[in-house]
Amino acid sequence: MDVTPRYLGAGSFLARRDPRVLLLVPVLYFVAVANVADLRGMLVCAAIALVYYRAAGIPWRGVRANWVFMLTFTTLLVVVNSVFTAADTRVGAGEALFAIPLTGTQVTWATLSYASTLLIRYASLAMVSFPVAFAIAPSDLGVALARLRLSQRLAYGVDLTFRFLPSTVAALRETIDAQRVRGYEHSRSRDPFRKLASLKPVVVPVTVNALIDAEDTANAMDLRGFGAKHRTWMRELAFGRTDYLVMGGFLALAAVMTAAKFFGPFGEVWAP
Amino acid sequence: MSTEALSPRHSPWTIDSRTVVFGAVGAALYAVLGLFSFLIPGTQSVTVRPAVALVPFFGKRFGVITGFFVGFVGNVVIDLIQGAGLIWWNWSVANGLVGAFAALIFTVIPPISSEALRHIVTALGALTATALGLLFIITDLWILGIDFNTFLFLNYLPALLANGIAVVILVPALDAAWEPLAKRAGL
Repeated sequence: MDVTPRYLGAGSFLARRDPRVLLLVPVLYFVAVANVADLRGMLVCAAIALVYYRAAGIPWRGVRANWVFMLTFTTLLVVVNSVFTAADTRVGAGEALFAIPLTGTQVTWATLSYASTLLIRYASLAMVSFPVAFAIAPSDLGVALARLRLSQRLAYGVDLTFRFLPSTVAALRETIDAQRVRGYEHSRSRDPFRKLASLKPVVVPVTVNALIDAEDTANAMDLRGFGAKHRTWMRELAFGRTDYLVMGGFLALAAVMTAAKFFGPFGEVWAP
Repeated sequence: MSTEALSPRHSPWTIDSRTVVFGAVGAALYAVLGLFSFLIPGTQSVTVRPAVALVPFFGKRFGVITGFFVGFVGNVVIDLIQGAGLIWWNWSVANGLVGAFAALIFTVIPPISSEALRHIVTALGALTATALGLLFIITDLWILGIDFNTFLFLNYLPALLANGIAVVILVPALDAAWEPLAKRAGL
């Protein structure tokens, strides 16, 4: 079981950026695409998101499964909500192309255009979000959050979480092996209650042992004066000119798209 | 014996070394155990993730900040490991709120001497915290553009059912195992 985050974009253009850029860009992009109903406007944003994603240098074979899962889930969501049912759809003024047999939903060009807009929105949000998962060095996350004005202690907690991952996996494996020696077998029952109850001999000792070890760690940190003064970090972060350009670009995109939604055509569904 | 989660010297809002370390340990546990899930037979997409029980447990035992940290950071780490990035950030916040609500609920519940009653109250308190925290996914109405029925019947209720089963069974078990150790350690 591999639980360590995969730093697939190491050395790429985005990996060389200040990690705060990679954390803030999805927020700005989300502001830009929220409530965009026009397919043409969405395609412009998606093109920018694609360029950004390509700059992360994430190899396709490393994220193929992630993309398959993401696209399958969102396609189902959009088709069910926006085409098969009227949960989140737009009909527009055009003539109906056809009706869905079971639900009776009338499908027009506007319906298909809006559904495509939603699907592209989700896919493009994934494009700007994947670099957070694959192009930020896990060791940089704590310092990046601290520099984003999150509490220094909580930022250190994020750092510590990643450090605890390998030892937690090791403890889990050890506990499962130890319980198997005592005759533990994971339930193959289809009853979810029985299945959960059968996990107690693994979940409880792993948790309790981790908490006992945590007490030692907390004492050690207290002895070293944790939290007494402003914390410094080995890794120094500083925005460079390119970082400002990337951030400025997405800030401009967010501003332009927000204005276009309110004053221009992008708040309405476009039908060919 | 008592149900009270935190000793009187600890405020549920404190951020000290224990908050940070127990939060980090809880988030790591949640991230590792959270990779295991199983489907409820007869449903299309309702998966039970046993690790969600850790969130109200940590909230109850270690306070609001730790509870929120375990749910939020643990869920974000799972998303990072699975490669989803921050797309489902509101679900991570909802998980964090489960831990925070658990801390607040158990702070106001007075000590209970009966062990059986304590387990029942722990299960019900954790279930209530789960129901309240998961309400945050109503933000899907604006983020995903879904309607209220979709939120209620496809998102909220299935998630509450799946998480509810896990917390009702595992939180009292975790709490009962930790109670004597916490007393011994003076926590």
